[in-house]
Amino acid sequence: MKATFPHLAHLDIALGVLYPTLGVEIVPPPPISKKTIEMGVKLAPQNACFPLKVTLGNFLEGIERGADTVFMAGGVGPCRFGYYGQVQKIIIEDMGHDVRFILLDHPRYGWRQFLDAIKVMMGGRFSLVRAKRAVTLAWQILRFTEELENYRRSLRCQVEDKATLDTMVEETLDRLRSVEEIRTLANIRDEARANLRDFPRRQREGMIRVGIVGEVYIAQEKRINFNIDRLLGDLGVYVHNSVSTVEYILHTLPFFRSRDKHEAWQLARPYLNRFVGGEGIDSVGSTVRYAQWGFDGVVHLYPFTCMPEVVAKGIMNQVGKDYDLPILHLAIDEHAGEAGLVTRVEAFVDVLERRGKMGRKTLEAIGR
Amino acid sequence: MKVFLGVDVGSVTTKFVLIDEQKNILTSCYLKTSGDPILAIKEGLRYIENTAPSGAKIQAVGTTGSARSLAGVVVGADIIKNEITAHAVAAITRVPAVRTVFEIGGQDSKLIIIRDGIVEDFAMNTICAAGTGSFLEHQAVRLNVPIEEFGKLASQARQGVRIAGRCTVFAESDMIHKQQLGFGKPEIAKGLSEALVRNFINNLASGKSIEGPIVFQGGVASNEGIVEAFRDFYRREIEIVVPPEHGVMGAWGAGILASEYAPQESSFQGFSVVNRSFETRSFNCEDCPNSCEVVVLREDGTVKALWGSRCGKWTPQSAQQRSADTETGAAEVYGYGSS
Repeated sequence: MKATFPHLAHLDIALGVLYPTLGVEIVPPPPISKKTIEMGVKLAPQNACFPLKVTLGNFLEGIERGADTVFMAGGVGPCRFGYYGQVQKIIIEDMGHDVRFILLDHPRYGWRQFLDAIKVMMGGRFSLVRAKRAVTLAWQILRFTEELENYRRSLRCQVEDKATLDTMVEETLDRLRSVEEIRTLANIRDEARANLRDFPRRQREGMIRVGIVGEVYIAQEKRINFNIDRLLGDLGVYVHNSVSTVEYILHTLPFFRSRDKHEAWQLARPYLNRFVGGEGIDSVGSTVRYAQWGFDGVVHLYPFTCMPEVVAKGIMNQVGKDYDLPILHLAIDEHAGEAGLVTRVEAFVDVLERRGKMGRKTLEAIGR
Repeated sequence: MKVFLGVDVGSVTTKFVLIDEQKNILTSCYLKTSGDPILAIKEGLRYIENTAPSGAKIQAVGTTGSARSLAGVVVGADIIKNEITAHAVAAITRVPAVRTVFEIGGQDSKLIIIRDGIVEDFAMNTICAAGTGSFLEHQAVRLNVPIEEFGKLASQARQGVRIAGRCTVFAESDMIHKQQLGFGKPEIAKGLSEALVRNFINNLASGKSIEGPIVFQGGVASNEGIVEAFRDFYRREIEIVVPPEHGVMGAWGAGILASEYAPQESSFQGFSVVNRSFETRSFNCEDCPNSCEVVVLREDGTVKALWGSRCGKWTPQSAQQRSADTETGAAEVYGYGSS
């Protein structure tokens, strides 16, 4: 069995450590490129969401490299993510590839299937001890990749030497790929943290702060969202991203709970108190949280035609009005043009800057 | 005399404005880009050089428009700003009480909401061309009417015909259908103006509170048929101002931004730019599967700027380094051998 899987930010690093430890041979798909997108777009239904198309491209490129099994997560619910795997499976079969498709669904929809899928993903043998060690390590790695990205996006606007910052983060990410033990990870982590903390920065007075909310894939995958982190950072904006794969997984797992998401759901309550699928509530709640943190603006990223985020979009505008918080909505798909996106983002930052000069109204002033 | 230059290189037209320290326009020009922005920039510079008041010394340059980066490199800009900010700044300078800006240009249209002299919200359409100048120009060609007379024609109409304006393709087939029914050109022209206005309102203004005074600017604002259609749409309840400078507002805004920025020493390249030769070529960087199309701008043979690489590793310095390191690098960047 040679398995491939979809890309999502740095998930491939964690999975690249997890599967080999479990004894599963993997063929990671090449990094998302124009070719990946073209392949996916060509074969996927035209009105499917963009992440379906890109991940389909990942699978096809993985199969090109010799994969015979595809690992994909699924779900049931009022969001189309639930049928990504099903649709992709049919497309790949129609193309004549003899590929095994392993769909990991939420156990809520059948413990039996869930355990079967887990068993295959663990190389056919189910050993709790072995699994626990490997999963813990992979989990820590995933966590740390997100931490690194958080450092990068918050530091970018504060450092002079942006190229070195990029190299430092990229090199650390690369080193994570060969980690086999928790201890090695801890060393790399301590070293990177120290380096990043000591990175020479400028004064951070009067920085514009922007929060990113939105759909889990588009908001994190910078090869798809035109690297909006970097774009904003280069414009001198402090960026925080509320979207995280770690929190997403925690939230989905039984017996666990994402404190971050729980808080967002609580904050969203006055505006939206029922599940609308995907990350709809999280987008609304995180927007409220950014307002309370005193952020200057929010950028909302979602795939074009994403139902939950479109619901959230309408509600977020009310949040923006109530808290006097500008929000930029960006729908992204294969037709999104970089020039238009850059113009909008630049103009948005100008709006925030000019507002900042006039003094942003405090929460008390607007009655909150 | 201290003066500032604003340059707006758009998809269809190129605008130059020279202002003094009080932000007053000293001289301006409005040219067709005709798909060759560098030529248009040179022509504009020549015009400004000839019409500038004697003793004027350019202190700073601002560029805007879809070719703002290119113009910034060629002219030597101190500040490169997006069109939205530039247009808003000009509108606020011209009409301080402005609350809404409509800007309709060649390939896109913008709506800017302004409160207390600050931009509060904006919207921009690039998905569909039905609400833009190109749409009108295209349909004018179909009607065999020069675009300059289109507005006058529309105002002669006794009534408008309803033409679907959701998208260019629908509008066109609907327009032909109405023509076949025997409606005259003025009625069709008026119908098209109304369709454009509806498209603009539906695309950009939905969910936004439009308050007067509205400043209507951009090339399409010279079309009186459209201005009338906007006034009719708001049942004349909202004041719509079309400033005489409406065509060059973006460039004016860029000039104002340059004057506010006022650097110690301007990066303005001087009027000698018109005598230099610029050349754009592109190559596919094959260092990763993204195979970005990297665009190289050369001035008299030396690399001035590179655009289009996603990773951002291509700069004039790195390109130079690369071509010094390997022969293939030189071929890539400079096009030696291959051309």
